[in-house]
Amino acid sequence: MEHFIEVQNVEMTFASKKGSFHALREIDLEIDKGEFVTLIGHSGCGKSTLLNLIAGLLKPSSGVLICDKREIAAPGPERAVVFQNHSLLPWLSCYENVHLAVERVFAATESKAQLKQRSEDALALVGMTHALAKRPHEISGGMKQRVGIARALAMQPKVLLMDEPFGALDALTRARLQDELLKIVAATGSTVVMVTHDVDEAVLLSDRVVMMTNGPAATIGEILRIDLPRPRDRVGLAEDRNYVQCRKAVLDFLYTRQGHVEKAAA
Amino acid sequence: MKTFIKVVESWVPSGDRAVLEFGGALYGEHARFGALSQKLCFGRGEGLPGQAWEAGHPIVLNEFEGSAFRRIAAARAEGLTSGIAVPVFAGDFLTSVLVFFCGDDEAHAGAIELWANDPERSKDMSLVDGYYGTTSEAFEFLSRRTSFRRGHGLPGAAWQSGLPVFIEDLGRGAGFLRGDSAVKVGINRGFAVPCSSRGSCSYVMAFLSALATPIARRVEIWRPEASGERLVRSAGFCETLGSLDAAAREISVDVGQGTIGRPSWTGIPAFSESAAGEPGAAGTSAAEAGLTSLVALPVLHDGRLMATVALYF
Repeated sequence: MEHFIEVQNVEMTFASKKGSFHALREIDLEIDKGEFVTLIGHSGCGKSTLLNLIAGLLKPSSGVLICDKREIAAPGPERAVVFQNHSLLPWLSCYENVHLAVERVFAATESKAQLKQRSEDALALVGMTHALAKRPHEISGGMKQRVGIARALAMQPKVLLMDEPFGALDALTRARLQDELLKIVAATGSTVVMVTHDVDEAVLLSDRVVMMTNGPAATIGEILRIDLPRPRDRVGLAEDRNYVQCRKAVLDFLYTRQGHVEKAAA
Repeated sequence: MKTFIKVVESWVPSGDRAVLEFGGALYGEHARFGALSQKLCFGRGEGLPGQAWEAGHPIVLNEFEGSAFRRIAAARAEGLTSGIAVPVFAGDFLTSVLVFFCGDDEAHAGAIELWANDPERSKDMSLVDGYYGTTSEAFEFLSRRTSFRRGHGLPGAAWQSGLPVFIEDLGRGAGFLRGDSAVKVGINRGFAVPCSSRGSCSYVMAFLSALATPIARRVEIWRPEASGERLVRSAGFCETLGSLDAAAREISVDVGQGTIGRPSWTGIPAFSESAAGEPGAAGTSAAEAGLTSLVALPVLHDGRLMATVALYF
């Protein structure tokens, strides 16, 4: 069976002054079109490395990554990345930040009016129409992250890659953005791969939670299928027995089975 | 002591390999079911043993009604509500089909799970089906949604090693990934056995046992020595005597000797109604714990004996 994203027998070793560091071993993962997959694990388990490999920002030491039947050899607009740090250009307005990305992808095929419309639509999708002319320092952290998501979505990527996109936000803003992301993904049918430390976030958003073992030489240990019905309501789910079970299973993996990172640090 | 497994029986191909015939069993208190069963034989695809033969892999039957199972009325009368059939292959050659029966009485806590990996479809081992008795639905819910990579979790460990894996205390065993849920529903011991099959898929049967209804009264794993002349007990747990630490006391049997040694020669499960009568220390140890009967199951891979599992009742 063909999958939209295929990670086949990937190994990742980094060279360092102290010698080589084996970050990832025997990584195999298939992701279907429209699927929402989260990568969860302790710090240093290589989840961001795996995301960067899918983004094409890193090349694997061995193994193959495929997206939509093509080998991933470099970054491309079909795989948009949203980082924890919003990475907006501070001298451009929200609109200009999004428009820059839109121009890079669609300038050759679309008129200026179409490009403008596309940029505005993306910002409207994340509820940022009111801040088109504002610069990043004039808006809150949550808003910056929304603009970052708008910029990614505006490129109409086949895959949205998110590296702890809400990690730096306060709990309320994070919850609001998670809900917005659920709606956006439902509307766009995007394929999403997200790195997170947050168990609730993983279970609330995902179709599958991929749990990674501790590094070095981290690998995928267990995968939990979250087949809770959509649309998902965070308040209703809080008391849902199946949601609670899934949450407990992920917590059990992280803090009982793979808990030695915390124990060592304590 | 009640055990989660109520009945174990084995079916062996007839001389012309046209049907499966009765090959031995432990019926315990279900003698009437046994009396009926011993007269039967199963063609390929017939009944639960015949279906496992045809499928070439283990089968879990949770509901007898409406299935190909042929002994529905007798099983119902004896309180047997589910069956698990495990074909034993030496390479492509079927040596026997082993069938376990479980019941549904109130204290029937525990689980038998069948896990499988199809290498052409996935790198994961996922649940095919399971029997959970009165075990909490929450545990079953998680099992049905969890998949393991080779080497991870109880099924993944048996898959990787090709050997039976026994975890005495699931709450403390770092290899059991559903430990928290298991302990909460009373499951305390886990035991996984790789199953031989026809084709490229890998199968593992996982037995999860509760304190009140252990899978069996004693579980032992016997490994063949490199010389091929003896089997040594490598691990085990007795509900009466506790852990059977191989390092503390080495027990061995000669290949072909007694119930435990016999499957090494035949590739067929062996039964005994007199566990205390086993030769040497195995019999003495069984007598010490008051064990009455045992079944010895060969674990084969590519026609080679990897281990023998002894379940005592």
